[in-house]
Amino acid sequence: MNHSGKGAIHGAGLGLMGLALLAMAALAAWRTPPPQAGHGARTPVAILVNPASPVNNLSLSDLRSIMLGNRQFWPNHDPIVLLVRAPVAPERNVVLHTIYQMSEAEFRQYWIAKIFRDEMATGPKIVYGASATNELVVAIPGAIGFLEASDVRPGPKVLTINGLKPGDKGYPLQ
Amino acid sequence: MKKLLCAAAFLALLTGLRPLSAQQTAADGPLAAPQAGAPAGEVKYPSLEIQGFADIDFSAQNQRLQRVGTATGFTPPGQSSDFDLGQFVLHFAGQLAPRVSYFAEVSWTAGPNGYSTTIERSVLRYAFNDYFKISAGRYHTPIVYWNTAYHHGLWLQTTINRPEMIQFGGRLIPVHFVGLQAQGLVPQSGSLNLQYDVGIGNGRGANIAEPGDAGDINNNRAWMATLTAQPDWAYKWEFGGSVYHDSIGQASGLPTTFGEWIRTIRLVDTGETPEIIAEAADIRHDELGGAGSSWSSQAWYVQVAYRLPWFQAQWKPYYRFEYIHIPKTDPVFNPATNPVPSLAGSIAGVRYDFCSYAAFKMEYRNSRRNPGEPRIQGAFAQIALTF
Repeated sequence: MNHSGKGAIHGAGLGLMGLALLAMAALAAWRTPPPQAGHGARTPVAILVNPASPVNNLSLSDLRSIMLGNRQFWPNHDPIVLLVRAPVAPERNVVLHTIYQMSEAEFRQYWIAKIFRDEMATGPKIVYGASATNELVVAIPGAIGFLEASDVRPGPKVLTINGLKPGDKGYPLQ
Repeated sequence: MKKLLCAAAFLALLTGLRPLSAQQTAADGPLAAPQAGAPAGEVKYPSLEIQGFADIDFSAQNQRLQRVGTATGFTPPGQSSDFDLGQFVLHFAGQLAPRVSYFAEVSWTAGPNGYSTTIERSVLRYAFNDYFKISAGRYHTPIVYWNTAYHHGLWLQTTINRPEMIQFGGRLIPVHFVGLQAQGLVPQSGSLNLQYDVGIGNGRGANIAEPGDAGDINNNRAWMATLTAQPDWAYKWEFGGSVYHDSIGQASGLPTTFGEWIRTIRLVDTGETPEIIAEAADIRHDELGGAGSSWSSQAWYVQVAYRLPWFQAQWKPYYRFEYIHIPKTDPVFNPATNPVPSLAGSIAGVRYDFCSYAAFKMEYRNSRRNPGEPRIQGAFAQIALTF
């Protein structure tokens, strides 16, 4: 015996919800695209990793998963250490708009929430200056960071993204 | 008030900062754990990061109501208008070793007879890799998106309150879970980025709104499983579903034993232009033995919000409709012992982020508990902050 009562009404309610979900999916498909990086310069941004990293190439979606903290280990199971340039750096703007698709405020809230959800114990390490990024990527096993390609010095390994090097036509981070 | 709160949040941030490990690196405000004394590139264990949330609320309603959502559950009839200090919450995130972390969340909630202190979450986790992380402790049950997206951080959520179906102190869906969990990415799930979360634990306690913190009351473990996807082609979207099963009976004050099945689905756009959160749950109680009757309750909500691009993107209007249907004869949600009222209601409001770490929210609510009962209308306001 089932005592759910008003089952037809509630079934209709759930059906309406399904319709509402479809409508919202359509709305989301139409939503305004995120603003483009506004720094004007077209200097490509290079993704750097520790030279011992086994990785040479990442797809843009894999890179996004890493930068979002959804992937926290390299294929050899070493923990990933995220290095992020401090606000105002042009390459940070490119990464925020291209990879995170977030504003500075959304980025701050994202990491507070990420830690609060116990999905990561610490947020990304903030790095001031290009030389610091070059040095820390080499010094920290498992590190990944980013710089304008012209600021990269010998030492870090520069990854290809979607098989493309910084400066190649179609390279996504510029 | 605005300046005072911003100043307080700023002061808290300043006092929370500690000497940095290297001249060249710094934690991004409250984001990364300070590592005093460690050279550049070296991680010191254990590390500890503390962050807090607080809120101050005001409400004015056309009915004198019982308030739900407090840590102590139902409280005596409330006032038609009042101020409320809300919750003061601290969370502690510690890295004990490269793969071992500990997280705790403690809340202080104002009640009619003082403050109640609750360990909301206490979780020790070992991460083997992205595909397998195992943990033990007290969680927010991950079968509902809202429950694990916002926890007790009201500043994180757009609206003033949680949806009624997952309200703190509510009985409809178990908010907390004590036991073991395993979670991670599903290998070879391609561009769908499937994630699983499975757990086994004590299930509901003597008070069905609470988990069995001190032990299982009926020697019967509850279990749950969640599968979600965050596809590459729409990475801000999350969709999926969960199943939860428990057995509850006389130890919880019920006349006999019931099997409880909870099935939920979710569809979420975690962005802000728009933000969309839709969840539905079916809660089924099967009488084990006897007539073998069953009762099924439904609950769902849809929330839509949009961060306006004007005025420095500080304004975010929102709307939520929520619905709960409880069969009057369901013995588990018996109005005399474990009341769970039905609900059909709307809220409409706006959130104003007047500084980076504090927000002011105003909303109007219009709802009805059961057919024939008076419609409840009210205006609510909240200042929520993190520090």
